[in-house]
Amino acid sequence: MQLSLLKEHQLLEGIANNDRKITEQVYRDNYKQVQSWVRSRGGSADDGDDVFQEAMTILFQKSQNEEFRLSCKIGTYLVAVAKYIWYKKLQLQNRRPDFLPFDSGEEDANDNRAYEDDVKVQEEREVHFEHLNAAMEELGEPCRSLLKAFYNENKSMQDIAGLFGYTNPDNAKTQKYKCLTRLKKLFYAAQVNK
Amino acid sequence: MTTENNTWKLAEAYLNKSLNAQEVENLEQLIADNKNFAQEFQEVSNMLLSLKNNAAQKQFQQNLSNIKTQIKEEEQDAPRKISLRLHYLRTAAVAAGVALLASLGTNLWNNKTESNTSKYSELRKVRTEIEGIKQSQSRIIKVLDNKANKPPIENKYSGTGFALSNDGYIVTNYHVTEGADSLYIQTRDGNYYKASTVSFDANADIAILKVESKKFKFSKQGTIPYSFAPSKSGLGERIFTLGYPQDEIVYSEGYISSRNGYLGDSMQYRLELPAEPGQSGAPVIDANGTVIGIVTGKESKSVGTTYAVSSNTMLRMLKNIPQSNSINLPKTSKLGKMSRSQQIEKIQDFTCVVNVYK
Repeated sequence: MQLSLLKEHQLLEGIANNDRKITEQVYRDNYKQVQSWVRSRGGSADDGDDVFQEAMTILFQKSQNEEFRLSCKIGTYLVAVAKYIWYKKLQLQNRRPDFLPFDSGEEDANDNRAYEDDVKVQEEREVHFEHLNAAMEELGEPCRSLLKAFYNENKSMQDIAGLFGYTNPDNAKTQKYKCLTRLKKLFYAAQVNK
Repeated sequence: MTTENNTWKLAEAYLNKSLNAQEVENLEQLIADNKNFAQEFQEVSNMLLSLKNNAAQKQFQQNLSNIKTQIKEEEQDAPRKISLRLHYLRTAAVAAGVALLASLGTNLWNNKTESNTSKYSELRKVRTEIEGIKQSQSRIIKVLDNKANKPPIENKYSGTGFALSNDGYIVTNYHVTEGADSLYIQTRDGNYYKASTVSFDANADIAILKVESKKFKFSKQGTIPYSFAPSKSGLGERIFTLGYPQDEIVYSEGYISSRNGYLGDSMQYRLELPAEPGQSGAPVIDANGTVIGIVTGKESKSVGTTYAVSSNTMLRMLKNIPQSNSINLPKTSKLGKMSRSQQIEKIQDFTCVVNVYK
């Protein structure tokens, strides 16, 4: 028991740190169950993959919070969240009100409710990211490439100075802060206009 | 350096936890004293956290999609042969099924004198008991030999399917697709397309498939020539079917011999219509070009007795699935005044082989 708990904890930590190997292990251990469940509820194999990946992303985001502890096994969590997401998709298609998780009569109907918040928070996060990406697109060069190099490609300020032709990393840093200031303005301006 | 740049620098260091105790204390003092700064610092920190988190999530999702691709490749590489022994086991199960079916039939006959209620429950019981046999034996699945020029996997089953809509919604039997790892349809022109199950009703023995390619069309003209009968047709009605017991499409004709099907199943018709393995899922069409049912099985003892799920059962099921609004069913039959061979000419482009890989 102690051992398996430790293992679960390590898996979660691996996911939080974007560890490719551990992510793959969790993926392999759980995707089939979600896929066959979604297929048994009128979805395709691809729907199953999509729903599973969304659930994995939610777990990833939850794991970013160091305080986060799972009250159940990772697999149980993923399946429950995936079920909720699929029910919600069916509900959005508005074709099958009796497919709603709350009155579907399924044994896990009540559990689904517990994951409602997790799914909702992730939806809000995705909207937030969309705004951020939109602001990034508006930013123009060289700011966009510079910020992408730093945040998405994990390049050091030393590398960036070389790539963008700044005489030293400090100059590149100053430029980076200027870019961030502009990004922030674009981002919040878009928020106000909404 | 502007003060704004300083705020970024400070926030970055704070989030990286690279400030010393004194610096943290100074920062907290500044936040407490200066409301404008506090808000500025909050926004700046949020921005930095969002950028980092967005990038991390992208990286994570990139990993997920790489893993998915890797798993798919492995699954395709895995060999998928049914061993010879397993093949014989299947045949043995089929043989056992025949014997059981016959004995159950006698049983039902002997109980006929009992009261209505008990007869009814008896009937229902028999129905569930024979469910397994129906799947394996009386229904018309065909085990195909290995053939060249097919998708990479060998050993498969095949049935027939036909179009519900020109953009690739297909109806066939559930028992054809049951337990399938993957489904490919082969259209009249010989091309293979990957399909997946959209929905099914095991009890009615109906499965709805969709060709996965978004560009897929059965025909360039775009209109399905037949329509679907919304209610049951009458006894003695002349009907015909087009199916694929072999590579080539095969025509056969007959009539409705009972308005209820196997063991009085009201979702089915009983037909006098020759059918062979591979024809499961074929359309049953009346003289006006209206689809009245879907071939589902045949009686093993007699040659010509075939069962078909009625089209109204299928329509009822379609109404209840999430995808119902996106399936554009043909409204009218365009085959009314045509000769039979003209009708077949029009219909055949909308039929296909359903290949099942397990």
